Amino acid sequence: MARMKFLCDADRCIECNACVTACKNEHEVPWGINRRRVVTINDGLPGERSVSMACMHCTDAPCASVCPVDCFYTTADAVVLHSKDLCIGCGYCFYACPFGAPQYPKVGNFGSRGKMDKCTYCAGGPEADMTMAEYEKYGANRLAEGKLPLCAEMCSTKALLAGDGDIIAEIYRERVTTRGYGSGAWGWQTAYQESINV
Amino acid sequence: MTIQDDQKGLGRRGFLGAFAGVGAAAAAVAVGTGGVQEAAAQETDDEKRKARYQETDHVKAFYRTNRY
Repeated sequence: MARMKFLCDADRCIECNACVTACKNEHEVPWGINRRRVVTINDGLPGERSVSMACMHCTDAPCASVCPVDCFYTTADAVVLHSKDLCIGCGYCFYACPFGAPQYPKVGNFGSRGKMDKCTYCAGGPEADMTMAEYEKYGANRLAEGKLPLCAEMCSTKALLAGDGDIIAEIYRERVTTRGYGSGAWGWQTAYQESINV
Repeated sequence: MTIQDDQKGLGRRGFLGAFAGVGAAAAAVAVGTGGVQEAAAQETDDEKRKARYQETDHVKAFYRTNRY
């Protein structure tokens, strides 16, 4: 059985944030929520690196372990999804997640959080596939349409890979063996010389 | 409220909505037929966990172009 995974090739990511924008647009994500974010380290310095981050769909998901109402479930594709009908907005999953994936709408009064929202790997939720009810709560169900998450499909530098974990790991391995360790970007050595260890 | 409760009859949340703007007659029909707002179809436990990934031509094209 294929296991769905994301893999971000940090040597290729140029921090264009198109994955973030595409995700928000595809799923009509509410204001104040980003299901995917680009994290940059050493910003503005030689050796700067960016990684596109979202829910990593953990095998033993800590969010699911701490949820008091057990609203999380893992599909046969190893995608971690949740039910907004069951979620009580307690925020435990936000504290448990090492990636900051669970997000809450910032529209409630008196500190109320509303329903948790997170990356669904473009696989919808517990409502019937490709219905309006599912779309309103969880966004598009591209996996059921025979497609992959939009963030990865439209990545301009092919930095963000998604799909069967075995296949994308093989693609990444091919890239690394072809370009060698470090950046494969043309002109990298001219710009930064050998002194930059990445 | 469980998921199953949502599926049958007129939902608690949809009850007042059925009366708003549609008039008493329409509302009466609505009560008789299960409400104007149909509860969203929920998948069973097996259905929601089933595999949805398929290696379609679309997906194969994604893998192929990422090898460049």
